[in-house]
Amino acid sequence: MAPRRIRSPQEKDTFRRIVETCFRHETGSPKPLPDDAADLIETGILDSMAWVSFLRAVETASGVADLGSGLNEQPASFASVLAALRDSSKSRLASVDSQEGMIGDVAASPAFLTGSSFAQGSRRVPSEEVDRAFGMPIGKLRKRAGIESLAYASKNENELSLGAKAAEQALRAGACGAQELDWIIATSETHRDYPSLAAQLHSRLLARENCGALDVGGGCLGLLNALAVAQSLIGSGAARTLAVVTADVHSRVLTPERVAGEFGGLFGDGASAFLLRREGESQAGPCYRLGDFLFGCAGQYAAAIQVAERTGGGLDVQFDGEALSRAAITRLEKVITAVETRSGIPRASVGGFATHQPNPRLLMLLAKQCGVSSDAFPPICSTAGNLGSSMCGAALHAAMQKEAKRKAGQRKPIFLASLGPGLLFGGGWLTPA
Amino acid sequence: MSKLLITEITRMGPALCVIGLQRDKQKIQSIRPIPPSAHSWNHFPHQRGDILELSLTPLPGASPHVEDRVATRGFRKSAAVAEREIAAFLRKAECSDSLRGLFECHIHENRKGSGAYALPTEARRSICGCQTQNLRMEVCGNELRATLALSSGEVLRDLPVVDRDWMDFIDAAIAPSRGANRVARLERFLNSQFHYKIMSCPHHFVRIGLTRPYRDACWLMLDTLFPLPKADWLEEF
Repeated sequence: MAPRRIRSPQEKDTFRRIVETCFRHETGSPKPLPDDAADLIETGILDSMAWVSFLRAVETASGVADLGSGLNEQPASFASVLAALRDSSKSRLASVDSQEGMIGDVAASPAFLTGSSFAQGSRRVPSEEVDRAFGMPIGKLRKRAGIESLAYASKNENELSLGAKAAEQALRAGACGAQELDWIIATSETHRDYPSLAAQLHSRLLARENCGALDVGGGCLGLLNALAVAQSLIGSGAARTLAVVTADVHSRVLTPERVAGEFGGLFGDGASAFLLRREGESQAGPCYRLGDFLFGCAGQYAAAIQVAERTGGGLDVQFDGEALSRAAITRLEKVITAVETRSGIPRASVGGFATHQPNPRLLMLLAKQCGVSSDAFPPICSTAGNLGSSMCGAALHAAMQKEAKRKAGQRKPIFLASLGPGLLFGGGWLTPA
Repeated sequence: MSKLLITEITRMGPALCVIGLQRDKQKIQSIRPIPPSAHSWNHFPHQRGDILELSLTPLPGASPHVEDRVATRGFRKSAAVAEREIAAFLRKAECSDSLRGLFECHIHENRKGSGAYALPTEARRSICGCQTQNLRMEVCGNELRATLALSSGEVLRDLPVVDRDWMDFIDAAIAPSRGANRVARLERFLNSQFHYKIMSCPHHFVRIGLTRPYRDACWLMLDTLFPLPKADWLEEF
């Protein structure tokens, strides 16, 4: 039987740190923190709008989803919020305890990222050529979005070939044979064929017959969704070794015949792959431990990007570039703030930000908004374009490669943050193991 | 003298804000009568659906609260219309299917936490009606909040509910005389019967308003939710 998990003093401190960080963020002032028992509304420290806003920020940062409900009939104080967080934590642990053989060792079985790879379409197309093809003024992609070139798949490349190439490289980097895999989890925003991408990769990699193959969605958020599923499979004990693969070939879906204007021209082709192992499995080279993930959907931006198949083969694209740009920056910064608060890792000490990269101009804006150097964002989209679900993967691989050059003990954490149509959002972090 | 159909009465703290509809030739537009020396009323003895006769004077420079008019003489009730008819008239006034159309400007997300706001310099009005695909109400940290999906599929979260009738209903629901587990019972009602009653009502309609500018932002709030709550619903939970 797994030992009962006792809440540590560190966990108690985590709740206080989250509450204080969110409060300071809400009030935006360096004034002394109020007394724990002070009613923040009655004393006029927060108005009712700010109180609910503060609670929502604490919910996001702590992962406790029903905090607001738990605080009804309670004073609007730090003490109430901390008590509700502890109560919620207790009930979650009780739930874990009651199912011990099944999920009792979630916390004791962390997942490690032990290999990674990135493969991009082998055809490099200057952005001016893409401008011309999509009927845009020559130089628009370079001047307005900062895109110098796009990586397009050659005639012989597709999601399967790019994904398989990335997967084989990641397995090699992690010194892992395909027959060791318990699951292959794939994601793509362009692959719509059957068999699904995961099934095709399973056959191509020659995984064991009893290795599972699962496809997950989410558009550009697909990698984070897939990593969260992989982490859960490892945490539940259902898997020891998994491959997560992304592959996107936009150049065959968003063609000038189907999509006119800027939207189609922003995207390139690529794939990424990651090897994940349970703690205690053999590991080769530098590896990273997966932290928590946070996810959500900001529906107020749902109309900014919508793509639907049209009868006859065309695509109906609704793309409000200005609204989407604003939404992307605001949301990614919010996700990074939430990841920073939950992890307790200051953004200044992060080695790399593996984020979605809509285009280079927005990436620069995001770095500025976050108050960090743009050097911490691997520059993928300037030469490859927006790679969809593979964008975050390409950035993560580049960030891991950069950190691998440092000596063990000097490597820094990596933050993940991405978006998908909806507007889906997600974030997480990795720490060097 | 002008005729005004009272369509919303909202409550923020002790203050009441009133909006009505006025017919101007073929157009029906929202008008917010305010006292000569304030933006809100301490006492307003009328109900939604009342048609009042009153004298109104335009109030310049109140953007985005362009509906403001100073009420210079007392109100006189001349008639009243039913709830269903109020909703029908509201559909003929300012309406939008999309977030951007609500106040004819971009709606910003609160970067710190929850809520949405418009910039006072961008918003072209301060009240607008809309049809919703779905609507949910919840009590969060003792504050009543609404989340709704517009016809466009866009979602607005954590809107403060300032509709006087709905606030009075919630206050009545959690009054100490209602016995034990009042808030839990209310939450169950909001998660079950409430949803059916609201969404199945043929005259379901919502009006969203903007607060007065506060630190360069006008926050969105749920001014009106039709159908209005019925006292006998309290017997159901």
